[in-house]
Amino acid sequence: MERNVQKNAVVNLLAAVLIFIAAFVVTIFANSLAGEAASVFLGLGALVAFASWFQMRLEENERLEKLELDELTREKGGSALFDAKESEVFPARRSREQFEKFFVPGFAVLLFLLQASGAFLLWRWIGKTTNGIVDARAMPSLSLFAIFALLLFLLGRFSVTIARLGDFRLLRPSASFLLAGAYVCAFTALGIAGVEGKILQADLWMARALCILLGLMAAEMLLTLLLEIYRPRIKGKITRPLYESRVVGLLAQPESLFTTAAQTLDYQFGFNVSQTWFFQLLQKNLAYLILAQLAVLFLSTCVVFVDAGEQAVLEHFGKPVDTLTAGAHLKLPWPIDKIYRYRTEQIQTIYVGYTPETGKDEQNVILWTVAHNQEQNFLVANRATATVQDENTDTNDTLKAPPVSLITVSIPVQFQITNVMDWAYQNGDATNLLTDLATREVVHFLAGVDLNDLLSHARLDAAQTLQERIQADADEYKLGAKILFVGLQDVHPPTTVAGDYEKVVGAEQTKLATILNAHAYAISNTAMSAAQAFTTTNVADATREELEISAYARAALFTNQIPAFEAAPSVYKQRAYFKAFADATANSRKYILLVTNTQDVVIFNLEDTIANDMLNVNVPNE
Amino acid sequence: MKKNLITIIIGAVLVIIFALLLFVFQVRQSEVAVVTTFGKPVRNITEPGAYFKWPWPVQNVYKFDKRVQNFEDKFRQTLTSDSVLLIATVYTGWEISDAKEFYPKFLGSVPAAQRALESILSNAQQAVIAKHNLSDFVNSDPQQLKFDEIEGEIKAAVQSQLSTNNYGIKLDFLGFKKIELPESVTATVFTRMTAERQQIISQLQNAGEAEASNIRSAADRLAAGVTNNARADAVRIEGEGLAASISALKIYQQNPELAAYLLRLDALKLSLNKQSTLIFDERTPPFDVFSHLPTNSSSSNP
Repeated sequence: MERNVQKNAVVNLLAAVLIFIAAFVVTIFANSLAGEAASVFLGLGALVAFASWFQMRLEENERLEKLELDELTREKGGSALFDAKESEVFPARRSREQFEKFFVPGFAVLLFLLQASGAFLLWRWIGKTTNGIVDARAMPSLSLFAIFALLLFLLGRFSVTIARLGDFRLLRPSASFLLAGAYVCAFTALGIAGVEGKILQADLWMARALCILLGLMAAEMLLTLLLEIYRPRIKGKITRPLYESRVVGLLAQPESLFTTAAQTLDYQFGFNVSQTWFFQLLQKNLAYLILAQLAVLFLSTCVVFVDAGEQAVLEHFGKPVDTLTAGAHLKLPWPIDKIYRYRTEQIQTIYVGYTPETGKDEQNVILWTVAHNQEQNFLVANRATATVQDENTDTNDTLKAPPVSLITVSIPVQFQITNVMDWAYQNGDATNLLTDLATREVVHFLAGVDLNDLLSHARLDAAQTLQERIQADADEYKLGAKILFVGLQDVHPPTTVAGDYEKVVGAEQTKLATILNAHAYAISNTAMSAAQAFTTTNVADATREELEISAYARAALFTNQIPAFEAAPSVYKQRAYFKAFADATANSRKYILLVTNTQDVVIFNLEDTIANDMLNVNVPNE
Repeated sequence: MKKNLITIIIGAVLVIIFALLLFVFQVRQSEVAVVTTFGKPVRNITEPGAYFKWPWPVQNVYKFDKRVQNFEDKFRQTLTSDSVLLIATVYTGWEISDAKEFYPKFLGSVPAAQRALESILSNAQQAVIAKHNLSDFVNSDPQQLKFDEIEGEIKAAVQSQLSTNNYGIKLDFLGFKKIELPESVTATVFTRMTAERQQIISQLQNAGEAEASNIRSAADRLAAGVTNNARADAVRIEGEGLAASISALKIYQQNPELAAYLLRLDALKLSLNKQSTLIFDERTPPFDVFSHLPTNSSSSNP
């Protein structure tokens, strides 16, 4: 029996080494991250298989040595042979003891370091690398990992059973590693299958999970090493190999977890829960239950529920055969029939000329002078500048300002998928293509329209024109999409020059104000001149009346003065003279010279004098 | 026995699954596949469905997306024929036309194919743009734009290169995604746009002043006209008054001497005012009364 166990250990070792090498090669071939982690796990398994096989050989040598010694003792009786030192008499036992004392702890420490560094480095590598599985090599690698899993499962299952039945403690570590290695390979194959099934992250997730497993193994090994220091050494007691992992054992034989759980329940409830019929039934039929679950999972792929607002394309062996609308549908199971869903009712939006800044506070006021998104500038024609440029075509400076202007446009384009077959099968990335087409049409349109026209009257027609052009492109390239809306609400000069455009509006207002002021002046002036004219003519009328009336009055007076004059001509004249003289000179300054000596010279100073109070006015200094 | 039967069934199912994985492969509607036997391409599959193959390493299947692939080139700076620096980027739609040719030339790598396409595209784009003026790209007269022709020229150049060397891919469409100016030129355009605005502002200001001046002068002229007319009317009216008063002059003719004397007296009254300074001697009536006053000398004489 011992011989068979050793053979079994050798087979385990060879299998572990060969499958480790094969898995490593396949990993390199397929570029699988999960494969890398699985290779590390299988490599550690090979080391453990080697250690357990070596320790098994030492114990076998010790057993043979003991048998030979017993034989000699029986044949020769007491002799000088037993006078020799024990180490000289039992070299195999001595070797085994030395191995357990020095090599096993050292090997356990090595295992811990490999597991910990493997987990750490792999985790970091997975986070950094952008490598992915090579598409064409996914299927062969998947098959090979599945084969590795199958081989390891068969061999590991057999070894685990042998170890349990014969209580071969040294066979247990390698057997557990082989069985756990089978599951690890199966997980790796699942990861690759996920990638093949367009779940591109599947391989990465499996790699992460295997890193966590390696980390757990390292933590367990560290704990075991610490506990080993304080473990009581009882002579003759058979110890568990230090390099045997309980985590690996649990992974290899999950049914042992069942037993542990049963024992816990028994202890907790105070009676044998594990002996109840339900628990027994569960334990016996666990495999069937799992199989039934898998069968249900497989059959569930025959039913499809398409949500409201969705359409799904049904592919039979990769060939599209039907378009499924909202509701429940039956189909053949995966991978014969597959469906691909598209949100056909949803109004989707692409953005031309800007990138919406999500997460930024919504602005309540949208101004030309404040950038409200990540805006882009577009070239736009400028008729006025082009005219000026034509007159100065001699200049040949590459940095001169070309006869174009720049404009910022933020155009949301809303669309709906109308033909899901065209949308899915005509173009690799239909949304991206639609964005390109829309951007091209905007660039094309702006290049042929005058800036000032676009900012004013051409704006209304621009949105309609763009929508028609983008729709025509979408139809030409069979995108299967309907353009619902093209928004041209945010078209303005770049923020750098937007302030100058505002100043133009201000200048227009100033111009209007100046003209209105002139109109006000004109109105005032006209009114005042009319009033002045009216006054002038009225004064003239009054003068005329005065002339007429006074002339007739004077004439009437004269008529009456004639008789008076004729009655006393000299007296009347004297009287008239004196009266007129008195009236005329009443307010005049008069000097009357009463001279008797005509030779006297009288000098008058007739200068006007300034009034005294005017001289006393104080003039303030500047 | 029962356990063995289950194990056998599970094993058989697993074997069937593995066999299917190894011997059968699917090609989707959107895919094209190349089957290689010991590395040599032997079959080109363009129709969707399930197909048989020998397991790896005898045969390998390489599947590619046969839909139109969207590829957007980098922004590239180019000089137009009228020496204007432009930065342009184009987008293209390309597809695998012959998978058997495509696979060995690019080892089945779409990024590698796009890198090759990028080089060809860059060359064609720069060569074609350099043949055209800026006005072919941007023009206020849409009829003068040559967007479509330029895109057609680039596409023809790229397609010609692809066909000549049988890359296994074909170009379906090509278009300008963006045309821009280098940053330094953009700054000059901004400066010019600002100057244009300043020019318009100045025009508006001057136009406003000019129009206001016109309005004011027109108003002044109108006012002057009205005033002058009023003055003329006033003169005329005064003249009429004078004419009307002339008939009264005949009365004066009854005694011209008296009339002349009275008129002189009126003139005297009108000609003197408060500021007038008059110097009289004793002979001027009525001051002549002073000449008959008794003096000290005369009163002392007997």
